[in-house]
Amino acid sequence: MLRHCTIAELLDLRGGEGSAAVRTHVDECDACRAELDRLHQRVAALKALPSLTPPRDRWPVVRDALTRSRRRRWQRAGGAALAAAAALALMVGIPGVRGAGPDIAIAQEVDELKRESHQLEQVLHEVEQERRVVNGMVLTVIVDLEDRIAVIDAGIATVQTAGPVTAQLRDLWEERVILVNQLVATHVQPAAYAGH
Amino acid sequence: MADITLAALDDMAVHRAKSGDLAALERVYRAYEGTVYTLARRMCRSPEDAEEVMQETFLEVCRSIRKFRGTGPGSLTAWIKRIASSKALIRIRYEKYRETEALQEDGGWAGRRDGDAGLQLDLEAALRQLSDTSRAVVWLHDVEGYTHEEIAEQMGKTVSFSKSQLSRAHARLRKMLGEEAQC
Repeated sequence: MLRHCTIAELLDLRGGEGSAAVRTHVDECDACRAELDRLHQRVAALKALPSLTPPRDRWPVVRDALTRSRRRRWQRAGGAALAAAAALALMVGIPGVRGAGPDIAIAQEVDELKRESHQLEQVLHEVEQERRVVNGMVLTVIVDLEDRIAVIDAGIATVQTAGPVTAQLRDLWEERVILVNQLVATHVQPAAYAGH
Repeated sequence: MADITLAALDDMAVHRAKSGDLAALERVYRAYEGTVYTLARRMCRSPEDAEEVMQETFLEVCRSIRKFRGTGPGSLTAWIKRIASSKALIRIRYEKYRETEALQEDGGWAGRRDGDAGLQLDLEAALRQLSDTSRAVVWLHDVEGYTHEEIAEQMGKTVSFSKSQLSRAHARLRKMLGEEAQC
């Protein structure tokens, strides 16, 4: 080899994939050998970077979100009949069914969730444009997630039509963000998410 | 870093966490918060993004741990790190960061001296200067030990893309760290 190695060639060599010509050149070339040493040192220095401590304790947020989603699951377990009755009550305007009235904090949470959902939709759109080939199992997961999002959207529409922002609406948006997040992940990393 | 806490996270605690016990889930969180935050912070541009990734990771860990089937040593760590890196990559993607680095396609070196020795940074600062994608690839490959195949799969890209990003990252780091050839 009449020229010095590129970094890509040195990286291949480091990963055990370098060609015989590159290996021979590095054996004979002081400059490329020194460059390979620097590469090893740089990686060692990266590995030696200190561990970092989170600036804030996020466990209370995680715990609260977990508790909320468990409560929702429990509520869902109450059955479709209960949900249908609640939807009917909303449509005919029976007072008191929606629980707590408008709340600024909840409205802010809903706005934030809407923004997050919108961001995720943009990523989803971008990813879908790439038209990746997916296997049957992944496709099943995608269809299932899309169905669940459609159900959530119907719920959001019903609750929104019924009146002011409620905790129920926030929970629906939260569920939607989780599902769209999973949908994006399934598109981007099908192998990792097909089992979900 | 978390060796002591990880050792304290015995099989019984993991078993209880799988059953949804909040105290056990908190032990999982405490054992891995540093590991996850470090991974997220090294991959993401801002501390705020890293915190969000950490939060999303533990939410998914808590929701999915009952499905975790690993039994070998380190399997829980690998599983949690995998979730964290996925979350970080998704965040990087939807941050829609546009790569602005004027990197050379061939990945530098090849005996060249670019005369930019004045631009010397420490390694952490240099890492932060990389594009989000390059930084993620260099961290996952060089520190976490992921293969190019695994990185490509996680990113939804090709192996060549991963290799090219790693090469670009090292060319850029070499330049920023002022590692000029001495020959």
